[in-house]
Amino acid sequence: MFGKLLKYDFRSMFKQFAFIWPAALALAVVNHFTMNAMTTVSGDGAFGTSTVGTTTAGIAMLVYVAILMAMFIVALVFTIQRFYKGLLGDEGYLMHTLPVRPWQLIGSKLLCAVVTTFLSVVVAVLSILIIFPWGREDFQELFNAFRYLFSHWSSEATNAVLGIIELLLLMLVSFATGFLELYLAMSIGHLFNKNRVAMSVIAFIAVNAVMTTLLNAVSPGLEHILNNIVGNWDTIASFHSTVWIVIAGELVLSAIYFAGTEFILRKKLNLE
Amino acid sequence: MNETLVSCTALTKRYGNKTALKGVNLELGRGRIVGLLGPNGSGKTTLIKILCGLLQPTEGAVLVDGQAVGPYTKSIISYLPDRMYFADWMKATDLFDLFADFYKDFDRTRAMSMCASLGVTPSDRLKSMSKGTKEKVQLVLVMARKAQLYLLDEPIAGVDPAARDFILSTILTNYNEEGTVLISTHLISDIEKVLDEAVFLKEGEITLHDTVDNIREREGKSVDALFREVFRAHNIEGGAF
Repeated sequence: MFGKLLKYDFRSMFKQFAFIWPAALALAVVNHFTMNAMTTVSGDGAFGTSTVGTTTAGIAMLVYVAILMAMFIVALVFTIQRFYKGLLGDEGYLMHTLPVRPWQLIGSKLLCAVVTTFLSVVVAVLSILIIFPWGREDFQELFNAFRYLFSHWSSEATNAVLGIIELLLLMLVSFATGFLELYLAMSIGHLFNKNRVAMSVIAFIAVNAVMTTLLNAVSPGLEHILNNIVGNWDTIASFHSTVWIVIAGELVLSAIYFAGTEFILRKKLNLE
Repeated sequence: MNETLVSCTALTKRYGNKTALKGVNLELGRGRIVGLLGPNGSGKTTLIKILCGLLQPTEGAVLVDGQAVGPYTKSIISYLPDRMYFADWMKATDLFDLFADFYKDFDRTRAMSMCASLGVTPSDRLKSMSKGTKEKVQLVLVMARKAQLYLLDEPIAGVDPAARDFILSTILTNYNEEGTVLISTHLISDIEKVLDEAVFLKEGEITLHDTVDNIREREGKSVDALFREVFRAHNIEGGAF
């Protein structure tokens, strides 16, 4: 049943992003050419240095930056709306009478939101790579660098690759924590019979304040424990352990937010 | 299979200091059409929402087919809410896919033929449909299931009398005959002729639960006439005038 929920959540996600992702990439391609025209032809005093050329390049860049920003705003709005409208609004009448459990409903929305945001990051990174004025030599060099890396595989390389994977994981877990905090705030907000949106905002601020206070209260003790585990903070090994500890901390927060949201949806559901 | 399909014991629901249901005891068997009758605010929607799992009771217990409300009971209940529950971007056919995915008892072929007889084009976007057409789509979704329990919350409240007959006949010709239909309404005269049983709900309490035949025989009047009498008397007692 969880797989079926995912199917419908992902379907609505692709409907939403079917335009904006390709548009961001297409604009990156446009910028690649306008930027290249600026840098390569500028010596001849042609397109690049002409007013038309710079203006075109400027506008193209502006539109690109705007659409990138819009993409992340849409991703955030999408995350909030799919939960609020989908589970706490009128659509909730359908979703909560399906033969599934509340944790499956939340899990499906969460997974879909994390994947959506991650894909938006991937599109952003890809688009920057597209804009970058790659020449044939650049690819050659990149290729050589990779070949060198793999033929002379070292502990540094292992550490670098592991580090990147760890940071990616940390990013995904942080997204999840952030979204679950939003979910919990909206679930608390929906318990009120009036001004639910305002109450959700207040709940978000309150949850944040409580969590910050808690974190401040336990942080001296936590620091002590961390120092014992990690020991000398300067080594590479301590970098890895630090990232893992932060991931674990985010997971604990996620679990708390998830449990709170699940409890409210299971026991206190209050659809209008 | 339990002979008793629905069993509510001492069911109470409070919203803050307002009590919507007061110790409701109700047993419903199989293969009946039951009217849940009461004026606005008598607790009809609250009772239905508790049965389909949208609300948790403050006190008391509910069993559907011998089970507490959960994924199993939801899989055998077909619920028509008093509002639209679709996402705008969907077509009726998307909803048929969804229902076919989640409910084993959903009959897609029947849904399509019901659409044809109700004059609905299922490939249209829901966003472009009129309110009445959307209501029909929702009715098709609910009645194309071979459910054990149909919970229909005010299915005829918002439509004109001609459409009422149409909706009622759709319900009557399509429901699973081994299942039970619970229809909440305050428009009794329109549905009295199809009811097997009537439940009167008054300020969160059940004041009467009997077969329609027994009621007519004992009271010597129609359920509609009795309803008007019971709930008019209440107004005077309440000092509303």
